[in-house]
Amino acid sequence: MGFLSVVANGLSMGAIYGLIALGLTLIFGIMRIINFAQGALLMLSMMVSYWLWAATGINPYILVIIVGPIMFAVGYICERCLIKPVLDEQKDVREPVAVLLLTAALAIVLENAALMVFGADYVMAKTSFSTSTIALGPVTVSAARFYGLIIALLAAGIFYLFLHRTQVGCNIRATGQDRNAAALMGIDVPKTYAIAFGIGTALLSVAAVVLIPFYYVHPSVGAVFMTKAFIVVVLGGLGSIPGAVLGGVIIGLIESIGAQYMAATLTAMLVYLVFLLVLFVKPTGIFGSPYDW
Amino acid sequence: MIEKNNKKTIILWAGLAVILLLIPMFVTKPYFLHVIIMCLLWAYLATSWNIIGGFAGQLSLGHGIYTAVGAYVTVMLFNTLGLSPWLGMFIAGAVAVLISLVIGFPTFGLRGAYYALATVAISEGVIVLINSIGDVGKFHVGGAEGLILKTVGNSWAAFQFSSKVPYYYIILILLVLGIIAAKKIKDSRLGYYLVALREDEDAAAAIGINVRNNKLIAGAISAFMTALGGVFYAMLIRYLEPNAVAGAVSMSTQMVFMTIVGGAGTVFGPVIGGILLSLVSEFIRFYLGGQLMGLHLFVYGLIVLIIIIKQPSGIIALFDKLKERLSREQH
Amino acid sequence: MKKKSGKIVSLLLTAVMVLTLGAGCGGQGGGSEDAKEIKMGTILPLSGSQAPLGKIGQQARDMAIEEINAAGGIESMGGAKIKMVYADSKGDPATGVSEAERLITQEEVALITGCYQSGVAMPSTEVAERYQIPYFVDVPSEDQITERGFKYIFRLAEKTSWRNRAQTEFITSMAQKYNTPVKTVGLIYENTAWGQGAVRAWEKYLPEAGLEIVMKEPYPANSSDLTPVVLKAKKLNPDIIMMVSYVSDAALLTKTFAEHQVKPLAFIGTSGGFADPTYYDLAGDASENFFDISTWEPDVNRPNSQEINKRFQEKYGYAMNAEAVKAYAGMYVIKDALEKAGSTEPDKLREAFVATDLQSGPAQMYASQTKFDETGQMINAPLVICQYQKVNGKMERVTVWPEKEARVGSQIVWPYPGAGN
Repeated sequence: MGFLSVVANGLSMGAIYGLIALGLTLIFGIMRIINFAQGALLMLSMMVSYWLWAATGINPYILVIIVGPIMFAVGYICERCLIKPVLDEQKDVREPVAVLLLTAALAIVLENAALMVFGADYVMAKTSFSTSTIALGPVTVSAARFYGLIIALLAAGIFYLFLHRTQVGCNIRATGQDRNAAALMGIDVPKTYAIAFGIGTALLSVAAVVLIPFYYVHPSVGAVFMTKAFIVVVLGGLGSIPGAVLGGVIIGLIESIGAQYMAATLTAMLVYLVFLLVLFVKPTGIFGSPYDW
Repeated sequence: MIEKNNKKTIILWAGLAVILLLIPMFVTKPYFLHVIIMCLLWAYLATSWNIIGGFAGQLSLGHGIYTAVGAYVTVMLFNTLGLSPWLGMFIAGAVAVLISLVIGFPTFGLRGAYYALATVAISEGVIVLINSIGDVGKFHVGGAEGLILKTVGNSWAAFQFSSKVPYYYIILILLVLGIIAAKKIKDSRLGYYLVALREDEDAAAAIGINVRNNKLIAGAISAFMTALGGVFYAMLIRYLEPNAVAGAVSMSTQMVFMTIVGGAGTVFGPVIGGILLSLVSEFIRFYLGGQLMGLHLFVYGLIVLIIIIKQPSGIIALFDKLKERLSREQH
Repeated sequence: MKKKSGKIVSLLLTAVMVLTLGAGCGGQGGGSEDAKEIKMGTILPLSGSQAPLGKIGQQARDMAIEEINAAGGIESMGGAKIKMVYADSKGDPATGVSEAERLITQEEVALITGCYQSGVAMPSTEVAERYQIPYFVDVPSEDQITERGFKYIFRLAEKTSWRNRAQTEFITSMAQKYNTPVKTVGLIYENTAWGQGAVRAWEKYLPEAGLEIVMKEPYPANSSDLTPVVLKAKKLNPDIIMMVSYVSDAALLTKTFAEHQVKPLAFIGTSGGFADPTYYDLAGDASENFFDISTWEPDVNRPNSQEINKRFQEKYGYAMNAEAVKAYAGMYVIKDALEKAGSTEPDKLREAFVATDLQSGPAQMYASQTKFDETGQMINAPLVICQYQKVNGKMERVTVWPEKEARVGSQIVWPYPGAGN
C-alpha cells in the first residue's frame, strides 16, 4: 500500500506544480514571453498570503479572495509600466530577448526587496490541518497536499471555462492566436496583454495559498518551483492549460515514484531527461500547437 | 578625409593599447587589479556567448556548462596527470566543442523559447551531475565538495602566479583575441548566414543556407571560447564549486545579462556590457554590501531593469546615436 | 563606421577604468592613520538564502567587539579598539575570494574571520595564506580546510567528521544503556559539500561500530517535496535515521516523517538546519524527541554560558546558536592573541595563535580550553547531543549527552515513541 501513497503524493504535488505553471503558460501563449519573474511573483504571493494569514488567522484558502486581486493589480502594473515599453520598442525584433531579461531583472529586484522588507527568516502558516493526514482507504496522504490537489484542479477548470466562456477570455485567446487579426477585429491588444499578465500573476495567488500551509515562505522560495514550472509548461505544450496540469502531474509522479528506486537527486536528472526526450520527439509538447511561436 | 580618420583611429587604438598595457603599473593594489581582471573575464565570456546568442540569436541559458567543462577538464588533467593547463585548455576546449555538438544536434531545430528552455534543462541536469560525481576513473571530480587546484607556487608552466599581473595580461590577450574572432566571424560569410537565420530561419533555409551546420559551427566556436574563459576562471580562483562554475545565477544568466545590456549581435556590445555590469555589481557591493541585507542586489537589479527599459537594444545603440549626431555635425 | 564606434567605445572604457582607479586611490587614504584602531575583516553571507545565518554571526561579533572595546580594548597595544569590516560573500566562492582580496589589500585588515560556508572558506583562506594574513575560521567545518598545510589558518570549529564520529559514539552508548540493539542506519542528506562530507565520515565510523548502512539517500537542497524520500525510509525501516539538512529541508523532513508515522529508534540531525532557531517554528511539535548534535546549547553546563546568552537575547531579541557562540568566543580568542602579540604584524599574530592556550574568560562558554594543533585546528572542539523535548509545555533543546555537560535533571527519551506520543 506504500506504493499507492507514493502515487497519491506524486499526483497532489504534480497538480500543484501544474497550478504554478498555469500563469506561465498563459503569459507565454498570449505574449510569447517566458516570464522569468514568475518564481519571484509566486514568492510575493506567498509573502502576502502569509502575512494576511498571520494578521487575521483566516483559513488561507479563503484569503485567495483578497490575495488574488492584489496580485492581479501587481501583474497588471508590471506589464503596463515595465514590459509594455520594451515590447513596443522591440516590436520589429523576432525574439523579444530584452523582455525576457527584463523579467529576470525584475525577479532579482523583487527577491531582494523581499529580503530587505521581510528579512530572511523562514516562515510557514501553521494551520489546523498543516500536519494532519487523510486516509483514503489504505492510502495516507497529507491533508494540505490533498486539498492542494483539489483546489489546483478546480482552479484549472474554472480558468479553462473563463478563457472559453467569457468575452475577456475569448479576447485573450484571440490575441494569442493572432495579435494582428485580433487588433483588426477591434480587440485592444495592449490592454489584453496587461489583463493576461495580471491573470497570469493572480493565478499564482491560488498556488500561494495552497502552498503556505505546508511549505515555507522565504525570499528565495520562487527558485524552488521556477525551473519545474518551466519544464511543466514545455512538457505540456506552451500555452496549453490541460497541458500544464498534465505536465505537472507527470513531473510529480516521476519525482515521487522515481525516488523509490533511485536517489532523489537522480530523479531530478530523470525529470530533465524526460523533458528533453519529449522536446526532441514532439518539440511542441504534449498538447502544444504545431505552429511556430 | 578617410585617411585622416584612419590616422586618428590608429592613434586612438595605440593610445588605448598603451593604457591597457600600463594598467598594472598604476594599479598596484591587488584588489583593484583583481576587479579589473574579473571585468575583462566577464567581457570575454559575454563576447563568447554573443557568437551563438547574439549573432545567431540562439538564446542559450546554459553556457555555464562550457565554463564548467573548461575549468574541470583542465584542473583534472593538471591535478592527476600534471598536464600543463596551457595544453589542458585545448583538450578542454575540444571537449566543450564535442559537448556543444552533442547538445546542438537534437536542439538546433528548436526555436526561440523552446531552445532557451531546453538549455536551462540541460544545464540544470549537468549541475546535478557534477554535484553527484565523486570520481571518474582516477580523476578526482569532487562532487558537491568542489575541486581544488593543486598549487605549486609561481610557475608559468602551471599557469599559477603569486602576483595578479600575469593574470591581467593573459585575460587581456584572451579578450583581444576574442574580440578579433568576433569581428572576423561577423564580417565572414558565416556571420552573414547567422544574421540571416536569426532574422528569419525559414527564409534563410529557403535561399539555401544550411541552417543546421551554421548553427552547429557557431555553437562550437562559442563553446570553445567559453571553455577557455572557464579555464582562466579556474586558474584565477583555484577552487571549483559546481554551482559557482556551472550555475545559472552565477554564470549562465550573467553572460546573457551582460551581452543584452551591452548590445547583442554587435562586436563591442558584450565587451561594454561585461565591463560595465561587473563594475557596477562590484562597486555596489563595495559600498552597499554588509549593510541592509539584499540592498546591493536590489540596486543592481534596478539598474539592469532601467537600462533594459530605456535602451532595449543595448548600450551600444547609444553610441551609434551619438556617432550619427557627431557625423551630422561634421558635415 | 565600425572603426569609429570602436573608438568611442574604447574611449569610454578608458574613462571607466580611470574612474575605477581614481575611486580606488581616493578610497584608501582615510582610515589607516588612526593607530588606536585594529582593523579586522569578516566575510559572511549577508545576502542570498543563507543571509540569516550570516546576520546572527555578525551580531555575535558585534556584541563581543563592543564588550572588548568598552572594557578598554587591547591593553598591550595601548588600549587599541577593534574595528570590524563586514564583507558579503553572497555565499559564492568567487565573491568570497574577491572580498578576501579586498579586505587584505584595500581595507588592509590585520586578520580575517568567517565565513560560514565551507565552500567559501576553502578558496578565501587560500587568498589569506598567499598574502600571509591570519584567517580565523570560526564556523566552517569541512575537514580539508585545515588539512592543506596552511600556516595562517586557524579554526575554532570542529571538523565535520568529528560530529559524525560523536553521533556514532552516541548511538552505541544509547543502544547499550537502554538495551535496544541497533543494527541498521539510514542516511538522508542534502547533495552538497556538507552532506557528501558527512556521508564519507559516516561510512567510516558507522561500520566500525558494527552498524550497517541500509539507506543512503541524497536529495537536492531546497526540495519542493521530500515525501518520496520519507516514504522510502518508511519502507526500508532502518533502526536509526540520520540527516544532514539546512532549515527548510529539515523542517520539511520532520513534518513529513510525522505525517507518515515513520518510527525508528531515533532521528538524529547533524546541526545546521536542525539547530536553526526557526526550525521549531517551522516543524512544530513534529520535532519532539528529535536528536541533534551541536557544539553549544543555551542550557549547556559550561561557565559564563547562560549569562552571555541572556545578554545576547536582551540585545537582539532571540537566543544565540552554536554558530553565534563560535563567532562570539572567537573574538575573545582573537583578543587574547592580540594581547600576546602586542602588534598586528601578521607573523607576530600568527605566533600568538600558535601559542594560544586560553582557559578563562567568556570563551569558556564554548570550550574550557582553546588550543590549536600544528595544522591550526582547534583541539578537542566540544560536542554535545541535545533532544527536542517539551519542558513545561514548551519545546526546548535539552542537552542530554555527554552526561557531564547535560542539563541538570534532564532525561533522555529513547527509543523514539512516535509522533504525537
